[in-house]
Amino acid sequence: MSPLQITFGLLAFIAITIVTSMVNTLVTLRNRFINAYAQIDEQLKRRYDLIPNMVETAKGYIKHDRETLEAVITARNDAATANISAAANPGDPSAMHVLASSEMTLGGALGRLFALLESYPDLKANDTMLRLMEDLASTDNKVAFFRDAFNDAVMAYNTKRKMFPRNVISVIFRFNLAESFSIENTEKRLAPKIPLS
Amino acid sequence: MGIFEHQDRARTRTTVLVAYFVISVVCIIAAVYIVSILIFYNAHANQPHGSLPPELVLWDPAIFLYAALGTLSVVIIGSLYKIAALAKGGSVVAESLGGRLLSPDTADPSERQLCNVIEEMAIASGMPVPRIYVLDDEPGINAFAAGHAPGDAAIGVTRGCMTLLNRDELQGIIGHEFSHIANGDMRLDLRIMGVLFGIVCLSVIGQVLLYSRGGRDRNPLFLLGLALIVIGSIGVFFGRLIQAAISRQREFLADASSVQFTRNPAGLSSALQKLGGTGSRVRSAHAGEASHMFFGNGMGKSFLGAALATHPPLAERIHAVDPSWDGKFHRGAITIDEAESSPGSEGHL
Repeated sequence: MSPLQITFGLLAFIAITIVTSMVNTLVTLRNRFINAYAQIDEQLKRRYDLIPNMVETAKGYIKHDRETLEAVITARNDAATANISAAANPGDPSAMHVLASSEMTLGGALGRLFALLESYPDLKANDTMLRLMEDLASTDNKVAFFRDAFNDAVMAYNTKRKMFPRNVISVIFRFNLAESFSIENTEKRLAPKIPLS
Repeated sequence: MGIFEHQDRARTRTTVLVAYFVISVVCIIAAVYIVSILIFYNAHANQPHGSLPPELVLWDPAIFLYAALGTLSVVIIGSLYKIAALAKGGSVVAESLGGRLLSPDTADPSERQLCNVIEEMAIASGMPVPRIYVLDDEPGINAFAAGHAPGDAAIGVTRGCMTLLNRDELQGIIGHEFSHIANGDMRLDLRIMGVLFGIVCLSVIGQVLLYSRGGRDRNPLFLLGLALIVIGSIGVFFGRLIQAAISRQREFLADASSVQFTRNPAGLSSALQKLGGTGSRVRSAHAGEASHMFFGNGMGKSFLGAALATHPPLAERIHAVDPSWDGKFHRGAITIDEAESSPGSEGHL
């Protein structure tokens, strides 16, 4: 081998090492937010399990305002579907937008249900209902805290992939821009405040 | 000032105070050295057959080495002994205070709420979920975190916390306890208590030397013993002051971190106000040795009051969390038995 060949070989080796390490960093960061979404997913599923139970309990008391209950169930089903596609592809912009908007619809529907509870004091004092509301409140809080972690992880990934020369690498190896999970609500909660003592 | 500035300030002040603590130990070594030099000189000067009194040499490397090594080894061995004795898991401490372990799937509504809130704060602070204890016999509002590492931590909550506080207030208090775990306050505390005990050991050795004096009147060990008792006592006094000052900074830090975790300053502020109106005294016989771990001041007024208090004045804490506070405390929603409640004056908190 001539010295020229050796020099080229060395340069190629260095270049490959650098590119590999950049790709690896991006993979690590992507896995971090995918992992963070897995925790959101677990809490959201719990939330989607609690809501039908709550509606079932409420049905025993609420006779007139059935459409409020039905709206909650419809919104819950939409959100659950949106979560399935978001969980399959965390950070995907369209999936995250659909999930955020359906979660906001669900939050609104639940808000109307809680407002309705004021006219049904027996239901509001029902043990099962109280327990479900407490668990729902806690699940909402957990989603909110996990969402913070997810959004931080998404931001770390996006910042890294935007910077030169990683932006070139991201285009070649298809590290797409990730979308955070943001709910446009001043209270930063998925659901309106659940009336708990 | 925002919560992060509050946190930074508390952390910086802690560093300064820990530096003071180290300086105190250095001062103790210097004092022991000076006393040794004087005793050594004195012993030489009183030699019966000495021809000329020797000159007073202020710098003697050999004596310095003995004084420094002797003092350091007493303090270090004393510290290690105390740390080993104190470093028991969080559940041991919680049980000694009369805590009852809660199961995560309890059916009782308020216990369930407590477990839920603790799980939430574990997520927000990025810590593992600790074991959860309830102090059933304590009607005041208080809570504590114990254990030397996040892995074996325990959080205990008084019954007053569960009956008198709403969900947001409880979250504020639990967030405060989690920040003690997350900021490593339990370990810092343990080390400081260890070193303090090491300084106490110095006095104890002084007493031993004092009583072991033999028949001769001018026993140099007698003077050294007396000096060690004085140095040790002064050291412990200042050590306690610094320890209390560190503890107060860690409380401010924990309040600010709690707000960071819950993102709801109103909850913590309102919990502190209820604590001011209801009282936080803990009646357990073991409360004294654990007073620094509590959310609010667990003990009554101490002799030196503010200087030795493990917690900052309540009003100051509320103002730090909620600058718009009107200065009024309010009692819990459920009034508790007058006989049970401790007098809720600002003075004792």
